[in-house]
Amino acid sequence: MSQREVRLEVPAAPEFLRISRIMAAGVASRVGFTLDEVEDLRIAIDELCFSLVGPRRRTGTITLRYLLDTDELAVEGSGRFTDGLGNDPVVSALSEQILAAVVDECVLSTGEDGPEFRLVKRRRPS
Amino acid sequence: MAFDGKERDELRRKFLDYAETRDRALRDELITAHMGLAEYLARRFTNRGEPLDDLVQVAALGLLKAVDRFDPERGLEFSTYATPTIVGELKRHFRDKGWAVRVPRRVQELHLRLAGVVGQLSQELGRSPTIGEIAQAAAVSEEEVLEAIEAGHAYRFTSLDAPSGNDEELSLSAELGAEDQGLIDSEHRVTLSPLIAQFPPRERMILHLRFFEGMTQSEIAARLGISQMHVSRLLARALAQLRSQAEDDG
Repeated sequence: MSQREVRLEVPAAPEFLRISRIMAAGVASRVGFTLDEVEDLRIAIDELCFSLVGPRRRTGTITLRYLLDTDELAVEGSGRFTDGLGNDPVVSALSEQILAAVVDECVLSTGEDGPEFRLVKRRRPS
Repeated sequence: MAFDGKERDELRRKFLDYAETRDRALRDELITAHMGLAEYLARRFTNRGEPLDDLVQVAALGLLKAVDRFDPERGLEFSTYATPTIVGELKRHFRDKGWAVRVPRRVQELHLRLAGVVGQLSQELGRSPTIGEIAQAAAVSEEEVLEAIEAGHAYRFTSLDAPSGNDEELSLSAELGAEDQGLIDSEHRVTLSPLIAQFPPRERMILHLRFFEGMTQSEIAARLGISQMHVSRLLARALAQLRSQAEDDG
């Protein structure tokens, strides 16, 4: 099966980040993930979006690309901010621990135009 | 809740007796006499997606606390004293359940129904069911399932969700083996203690099992004897709380 992509751009505010979570659950069910896996993905998206925006209110947008494959889902996120508060993702030791437990791969980085992440969640063979 | 003068005198005498003797039969009588008040108050919370029977039980617990704490010498009517205690218990129940205010009733009801469906499917399949399987078993669309699951995560990003009170703390300490407790405490003391330690034992246990032991939500649900959906809600709430603290600090 060829890779399919769903793209979402939302304002960088908590009430809109919820939409990115719902979208993640929606595409995950297309891939045939179990409820446990969908829940993990949801937690990962929450943590990662939070790490893009950080603890302060920011002005800008979050773009998410959901890449659906046969047995896995990759999500790429990037923040673009106009407030000049910096481009580094914020991640705590606890967040790292949480992410390691819920996704197969996860990278956070400082992109040229803003903080970025990429995660991969694979379907467990049943 | 109206008692005539004679009944009121008799109840007052019973309260005075109970304050002195702490006699259980007397306590039961007092609770029975005021169950109407508990039911009345429980009924006022029925439009929020919880079955009335459950609410009456919660209200009865509040009533019991009120009977135990009521001091008849102070001249206050019992119903005046008990109402805030019972309402407090009901509110705490909803807060622990974690419903955000704006989740429509239809979605809440499906959420509650799915908890059972997921449990049953997990048993039959021997694994966590897919969204498609849940939708089919519940005879609703996948979108409705997703919406209902999301309802369990509908926490606001505020510090309102304080860890729940002491009663749960007590009953759960009894449930968890001393060994589990010791293990969790020693591990987190080294690494993330202040963050994890603020949660009541059950949340601490769930955070530990999911993120440090790598157990799935279904496995945790089976281990703790609660539904997967409940594990999911408790986790979501704990994580939302951690983030809101990061915001407060940031």
